[in-house]
Amino acid sequence: MQRVTDPAGSGEAAAELVTRASRGDAGAFEALYRQHAGRVYGLCLRMTGHPQAAEDLTQDTFVSAWRSLPGYEGRSSFSTWLHRIAVNAVLAKRRSPQGRNEVSMTDDSGEQMDFEAETAMDDATPIDVERAIAALPSGARDIVVLHGVYGYSHEEAADMLGVAVGTCKAQLHRARRLMRARMGGEAGA
Amino acid sequence: MSDKTVPFGPRNPPQDPLLARAAELPKDIEPPRDLWPGIAARLGEAPRESRDRGFRWPMALAAGFAVAAVSALLTWGLMRPSPAPAPTVVAQQPAPTPDDIVPVSYGPNSGLTAAELAARDALVAQFRESFTKLKPETRVAIVKNLAVMQAAANEIDAALARDPASRMLRGMLFGTYKQELQLYSAVVTSGDGLTRRT
Repeated sequence: MQRVTDPAGSGEAAAELVTRASRGDAGAFEALYRQHAGRVYGLCLRMTGHPQAAEDLTQDTFVSAWRSLPGYEGRSSFSTWLHRIAVNAVLAKRRSPQGRNEVSMTDDSGEQMDFEAETAMDDATPIDVERAIAALPSGARDIVVLHGVYGYSHEEAADMLGVAVGTCKAQLHRARRLMRARMGGEAGA
Repeated sequence: MSDKTVPFGPRNPPQDPLLARAAELPKDIEPPRDLWPGIAARLGEAPRESRDRGFRWPMALAAGFAVAAVSALLTWGLMRPSPAPAPTVVAQQPAPTPDDIVPVSYGPNSGLTAAELAARDALVAQFRESFTKLKPETRVAIVKNLAVMQAAANEIDAALARDPASRMLRGMLFGTYKQELQLYSAVVTSGDGLTRRT
């Protein structure tokens, strides 16, 4: 089993930072930001494909977390809790007309590819798995990002996205088909 | 409060080569600039929640169910065939006017966009035009039901402030928004029939 440590660490130091931040210690919260910003930004960037939107959503996520930290009871890890806030922020942004222009470049029908997201990535990068993910329609991309990249189970990803587990599995199947078609011979390498 | 160790990356190595490659991607991507100053500037603006949670979730749930119930009943009442006229109708209170209609005010945690609220307001404008065609008792019921929706929105927004990661709460709040739209829409689309019904 592959296990990657929570970026905040699992020791008392991380828990202490969360506790201090929940009591209003902005310095502790900045430390939490430094530990988690890369992962939150990565999640937002991969879900949106748009660096500026990902920056805004990362900031929104941490502001929302600061506001809500006093009520955080540690029933899930701080990272998971933060990721849930980030996913909600992305989904809310997508619902807005502004978000549809800036963030979700594809409809969810699966017929239209996500050219905006593709161009937002590094153009010098060959058609690798990162760019293939970025080119997926939003529904398929979400599940590949949460399940494939960040390792959440289908149940966790479905809960985060507010969809049925079966929908997640169907979207993953569709994503794999689209990625294989896009990557051609690279896909099975 | 304790932070737990959680696994990142698939619990079991994926068999699919594509997913295996996705799992190998770096989890962290550093933002191109330091976002902390912008966050720090906003921390003081954001009111922090207190720890007295516990009752909010049940209240939010109850509020959501109440909205669903009253909205369904009201919509059913608007759409059902008109019964035979009652022998006498005694007005218990003055019938509300369009000025008495107060659209639901959604809080800062709702996630509703300006466009969604603008769409609602456009529907409210049409609704007000049809409102006076309704029977007085229906108008009273609508005003009361909007008050129930407002109470539900308040409770859910407060719960969302404490648990912003909750998809369920966000879904409930968006459900309240949709129920409000359905209420207006039911009146607007049945406006002609309502005038004949009375």
